[in-house]
Amino acid sequence: MKKILIVDDSNSMRQMVSFTLRQGGFDVIEAEHGQDALNKLAAATVDMIITDLNMPVMDGITLIQNVRKIPAMKLKPILMLTTEGLATKKEEGRAAGATGWIVKPFDPEKLLQTVAKVLP
Amino acid sequence: MDLNTSTIFNESSSVSPTEDGMAANQLSLEAEFSRYLPHLSKMSEQLKQTSQQIETAVMDVCGSFQGIAERAMATVSRGKSFLRDGDPGNNSQPSFESLIQQCSQTLVHVLNTTKESGEVSSRAIERIKLMDAASQKISSAIRELEAISSGNKIMALNARIEAAHAGEIGAGFAVVAVEVAEQTERSQKVTDRVKDMVSELRNLAGSTLQDLQQMNLRDLAQVEECRRDVDEALYGLQSAHAEMKNMMTQMSRDGELLVADIGSAVRGMQFQDRVSQRIAHVVHDLETLKSRLSNCPVNSNNNEIANNDGFSSYTMLEEREVAGIADEEQGAGEVVLF
Repeated sequence: MKKILIVDDSNSMRQMVSFTLRQGGFDVIEAEHGQDALNKLAAATVDMIITDLNMPVMDGITLIQNVRKIPAMKLKPILMLTTEGLATKKEEGRAAGATGWIVKPFDPEKLLQTVAKVLP
Repeated sequence: MDLNTSTIFNESSSVSPTEDGMAANQLSLEAEFSRYLPHLSKMSEQLKQTSQQIETAVMDVCGSFQGIAERAMATVSRGKSFLRDGDPGNNSQPSFESLIQQCSQTLVHVLNTTKESGEVSSRAIERIKLMDAASQKISSAIRELEAISSGNKIMALNARIEAAHAGEIGAGFAVVAVEVAEQTERSQKVTDRVKDMVSELRNLAGSTLQDLQQMNLRDLAQVEECRRDVDEALYGLQSAHAEMKNMMTQMSRDGELLVADIGSAVRGMQFQDRVSQRIAHVVHDLETLKSRLSNCPVNSNNNEIANNDGFSSYTMLEEREVAGIADEEQGAGEVVLF
């Protein structure tokens, strides 16, 4: 079963994304912010990351920049899931190494389709 | 220009009302400012708590939906597993449908075997009838032999009479006549034994024929009855199975619809995330505003005077607590009987 790391400071968002992905047959682990995600990645291997942008302690862009330094995570897909839709922010995400950008609120079916598309 | 004081005063007094008014306005504004400045932090706290309450509620709803969806999927999965419709690769146990089919095939096999047995019996009956017809012909031949034997007896008797008439010359002829009579007697005895045997055979064949015919009729009736019963049972099973299958298909469809509905609900519930973020942004701005206003020189008066002022619209214990105006009062969910 493929494992996905969800990073979001909102409990309810993590719960909803997690619920959707579990319904889609994925194993899920959760982190509250970028640093928490890096700590989790030190202890577990994941196949994909879905992260929010604005979070306390460490934001999504910084998280991606750090994740891309981990050899095992160099090519793994990373999706941004955020309320932010600014083109400049998207470009920042792309430059940091994000695979895709989804603006909240997400459609569960579309999220699963996107995950299936980017997950090898 | 004589700048006498009075003029000045006069001039001054002609201006004074405006300046006094402005000063009074400024004082009034400062007082208002001082009274309401502390409200900003309380308002932002109200917003934060509201946001947390919405999040808790949404998480509860989401958790319930998750439970509903998991139970619906488990029910669908159990149903499919029971019917083996959703897992054609699983051959560890026969499906309900294949059991019915197997039962039906066994019944057809039993019916065919019984039918073949009936046909064998019918052929045996026909052969026994042929044997009976052959026995009748033997009986007819025996009757002919008896007639011949009877003729021989008369002929032997006549020969003996004629031999007696001939005296010594006919003595040899008399011996032959006696011998013919004895042979005829022996032949008659053999004929009688054959006649008895044929009669016994015909009786045996007759009773066997009767037994076979009765058995055949009984078997046919029983097989027909059995076929009807099993047919009815199989039809009942097939109907029940079809109904169950329809039910499970419907349940499966309902389960999928439910999951889709929950998907829509999940999408809808994300309003909370957006609302929370917007509230957080407003809270941030309120706190910045408060910080800036706190550094403003006009804010020099005692703020505590505002604590009991300006919160008249708050009705809930939590918001009154945040505003610092909570009294001994009833909280949410508490019941008091009068």
